[in-house]
Amino acid sequence: MKNRVREQRGQRGLSQAEVATALGVSRQTVISIETGRYLPSLPLAFRIARFFDVPVEKMFDPDDEEAGT
Amino acid sequence: MMNFIPPRLRKPALIGIAGAVFSVAWVVRGGPLWWVSIMAGVATVIRVVALWALGGRDTDEGALAGSRADERQRMVGLRSRAVAGSAAAVTAFLGLSVTIATKSPAWWAFLVMMAVIFFAYLFGLSDFGADTDSPADGESAHYAARSPASW
Repeated sequence: MKNRVREQRGQRGLSQAEVATALGVSRQTVISIETGRYLPSLPLAFRIARFFDVPVEKMFDPDDEEAGT
Repeated sequence: MMNFIPPRLRKPALIGIAGAVFSVAWVVRGGPLWWVSIMAGVATVIRVVALWALGGRDTDEGALAGSRADERQRMVGLRSRAVAGSAAAVTAFLGLSVTIATKSPAWWAFLVMMAVIFFAYLFGLSDFGADTDSPADGESAHYAARSPASW
């Protein structure tokens, strides 16, 4: 499942540490989510979407998994 | 229960208590090996300080040691404990087999270990598993009453 966390964070000029603090998770977890190594829980996925003010279905795209990304 | 202890001190405190119990066990045992209690005490102090220092690091291990892990780090810890549990089960089984084959009187200790691991696994299944006692779809009077078809 591809996500747009890195893209959204880059657009806002935020560091991984700043996003981590805002979401209440560790910097390592933000890195893992950005690289796709960790799929966040639903509550965290919604927190991420709300933080970036992006609909959750646009932040996390399950179709990308089917496309083999 | 441990909420009154600052998060970073919780795991070091547990290790400290476990180490103290182990040291006292050697003292109670007495005999020519009493000095092992001192070694165990020193090792415990080193381990407690190392764990406290690790708890201040900005790593997954540090977050787990400092009891401030987020959901991914808790999952990492959980998987690590699962691996440790599997290793303990295999070790207990091998120990039981070897002690039985060699007629060692310590076989029962491995049997107890296996039983504890087995029942802990069953407890985990019942505690964290699906609620199989809940009614399936269509069997619940509550949901049937609130079904749009009944409005």
